[in-house]
This record gives sequence, C-alpha cells and structure tokens, in this order.
Amino acid sequence: MSATKSSAGAGSESCLDTGLDISIVQAIAVSIESIINTALQYDPSSKQKIAQINDILAIRITAPSMTLYFHGQDDGVAVLSYYEDSISTQLSGSVLALVSLLKQPTSLTNSGVQLSGSVALLQQWQTIVETLDIDWEDALGQLFGNNVVSDTFAPLATGYLKQSAQWAHQQQQEHQRLIAEYLPEELNVVPSKPEVEDFIQQVGDVRSHTDRLTARIQLLKKQLTESPLLKSKQHSSQDENKK
Amino acid sequence: MTKQDTTHFGFEEVATDEKAHRVADVFHSVASKYDLMNDLMSGGVHRLWKRFTIELSAVRPGHKVLDIAGGTGDLAYKFSKLVGDEGQVILSDINSSMLNVGRDRLIDRGVNQNVQYVQLDAQHIPFDDNSFDCVTIAFGLRNVTDKDLALRSILRVLKPGGRLLVLEFSKPKNKLLEKIYDEYSFRLLPFMGKLITDDADSYRYLAESIRMHPDQKTLQGMMDEAGFTNTEYHNMTGGIVALHKGIKP
Repeated sequence: MSATKSSAGAGSESCLDTGLDISIVQAIAVSIESIINTALQYDPSSKQKIAQINDILAIRITAPSMTLYFHGQDDGVAVLSYYEDSISTQLSGSVLALVSLLKQPTSLTNSGVQLSGSVALLQQWQTIVETLDIDWEDALGQLFGNNVVSDTFAPLATGYLKQSAQWAHQQQQEHQRLIAEYLPEELNVVPSKPEVEDFIQQVGDVRSHTDRLTARIQLLKKQLTESPLLKSKQHSSQDENKK
Repeated sequence: MTKQDTTHFGFEEVATDEKAHRVADVFHSVASKYDLMNDLMSGGVHRLWKRFTIELSAVRPGHKVLDIAGGTGDLAYKFSKLVGDEGQVILSDINSSMLNVGRDRLIDRGVNQNVQYVQLDAQHIPFDDNSFDCVTIAFGLRNVTDKDLALRSILRVLKPGGRLLVLEFSKPKNKLLEKIYDEYSFRLLPFMGKLITDDADSYRYLAESIRMHPDQKTLQGMMDEAGFTNTEYHNMTGGIVALHKGIKP
C-alpha cells in the first residue's frame, strides 16, 4: 500500500495512484528506462527520433495499479512514476493487453487497451518501435571488448542471432498457417476461409437484394397513391356515397 | 543546564551549542566514503528515493533550486540538468568536507555552468526572501539542531508557490519490518562502518539519530506549524524513508 498523506483541510491530493510501494514503482521505472536506453545505444537513428518527442505518453497499468510516464530526451527515454503537468496521450490496460499491443501494434479494437488524448503521439512511438533496428554486432563487440576473440566472435554471434530470429519468425508463421488449415480441413470444426468469404458475400447479396426490393415496394406504393386512375375511382366512390 | 539548553545527539543529551560540532565531526570522518557507504547500507535503494524526490520536485528549465545538506551532490547533479542554462542550482552543506567532495564530483561529471557551492547553516540561510522555486534537504534535517528554525528559514527563502521537499529516514509502518530494521541499524550498520571507514561510532550515531527524528505525522505537523500549506508525505520502502512536501503560500 502506498502511503501518501495530505494535511487536513489543505485540499492537496497526490497524483500517485499506485497500490505498490514507491520504491518498487521506481525500481520498475528505472529497469524499463535502463533496458530501453541500452537498446537505443545501438540504434542512434531511433534515439534521435525519440529526442524530438516533446510530449508525454502515460501508460496506466490497471493491475497492479501504477502509471508510468514516457518522455523523450537527448540521452534516450525518461520513465517517470510521477508527472504533474498535463499529458498528451494515455494508454490504459492490463500488463498483458499492453504487451500484446506492443507486439502487434496495428489496432486498439478489442485489444483491452483504452486510449485517451492525441493519437499522433502514439503513432510516433509506434513507428519508432516498428523501425527499431539494433546493431547487435556493435552491442556484442562492446560486451566482449575489443580483442581478436571479440572481433571474430561478435559477427558470428550476430549472424547466428539474426538467423535464429528469422527462423523463429518463419516457424511462427508456419504454425499459424498449419493451425489455419488443420481446424477446417482435418477437424472440420470451423469453416475454411473461402467458405466464410463466400458466406459473407452471399449475406451481402441478400442484404442488397432486400434493400432494392424494399425501395421498389416503396416506389410502387408511392406511384399507386399518386395514380390518376386511383384518384378518379376514389372520387366516383365518394359521389355514390353522397347519392 | 536547563532542558532548553540541551538537545539530542543520537541517544545522548548534549549542549545545544555542542551538537553542530559533534555532527560536523561525524561527517568530516565519513565524507570520503559517504557514497560507498550509502550504497552498501541501502543496497542502492537510496538512488530510488532520490529519484522520486527529483520527480516530485517538478523542477523545470529556468528554476532556481537550493539543495541543503546536499552532501555529495546526487540531487544537485540531476537538478542542474533539469534547470538548464537559464536556471541555477545551489549545492550547500554545513560541512566543508562534504561540500568539497560534492563539488569535486560535480566538476568531474562536467557540471560547472549552473551550479554554485555555498557552505551554510540551514537554520540561518544567507539568501534573500523569495529566492528559490524549490528547496530540498535529503537526509539532513535530522542533524539540524533546531529543526523548526530551519523550516522557517527555508520558508523565508522560498518564492510563493515554491516547494520544500524533505527526504528523511522515518518510522516503518510494519512492526516486523521495524524489528528487522532495528537489528540491522544497531548491529550491522556500526559493523559496516568499522569495516569500510574504520569508524563505528559515526554509524552508531546514524542509527540513533534516525530513531530520535520526528515520525511522519510529527514532521508534517512541524511543516504546517512553520507556515507551509498543502503538506503531504509519501512513505517509501515501508516507511523506512519518507518524503515530505510543503508549499509556501
């Protein structure tokens, strides 16, 4: 429980909304900041782009409750646990939902993440995350120092890492493809994609036919009420009634 | 000697005039290894406490900041980056040894544009009224002889709307944590002090002075009494440390 007490009657309320001890929140903020800035050391282009972001992005995690504020600065990103001034954009959701969004930052719909404020700032951050290109060779070279072993090992390890990442990505896509085929073709528990598309097309056709038919009926009704033949019939029936 | 002529120095009752000298001796003794000891004693957590202090200060470019009992300049370094070339930071300490260490460290880190160094007593701050946007005192107030006088002195030099931040050891909120903390401070701290600085007494004083320091609510009351408004405090690490904030009306 974060203990924040204000003097009675002063009307001062802390902006901290965390249920965690402030030291823990600070440790989380420092760790995130450190990881991001270490990565940015090996991607100067992204670092430069981040330095140009002046607005504050707040990320509010619902459980455990805490808000972190991301701010671009010359030496990378500052991650704060407390910020007094107004913020431009706030994302809020569970840790899982926010991490999923980071992995597939295409749409907020049904992602479990709420957005308030400027979308432009979020897009700026998204572009940076998507185009992040870490120079692993340089990173490993610095890790092992400048020597013959490092000069030989770093490019090999980098090549291996890149190949592994590529292989993992291919495997993920392959698994997705296999699952997409296995469920409709082998188990028959879901329709295949062409069947679904055909069904959707048919529903669309029925909808447009129904719309056209409704419009046609409306037109006929209108024509019928305004027709001279119908009007003369109405007049003659009225005359007969008078007689 | 009447009660009013004495004050506490750790658990010891000493003459009011004597406390400042005794505290000065402690810090002359530990100054050179102050940072190392801080890291060892807190396991590096003191950096998190100070980081939160910086965030709560809301210091912006162009601000003027006074860091009292600034010691080795941890806060002043961060403030110098935040206030920029238009702002100004005064790193101050009553102890010349601590101030020298702080000055050397900041110069070594390339900070020389917007930081000035002043040896001062927090009870009698030698600056004009309404001079500063923010005043901080981290792990220093408990060593001040007359804390009420220091708080009034700080209030005087703050600009209206300016804020005071007091980062200080306080009272743990959990009984079990308090017991563990007591064991740690009275047994392990003096031992570590002896090992690193060859001075167990100074670290025994540290533990004792923490116990004699006002708890969270008492210090908040003292700030209210001195004339601050919107006072609040934030417990950290279970209340081992608390950050108090007050605004000059």
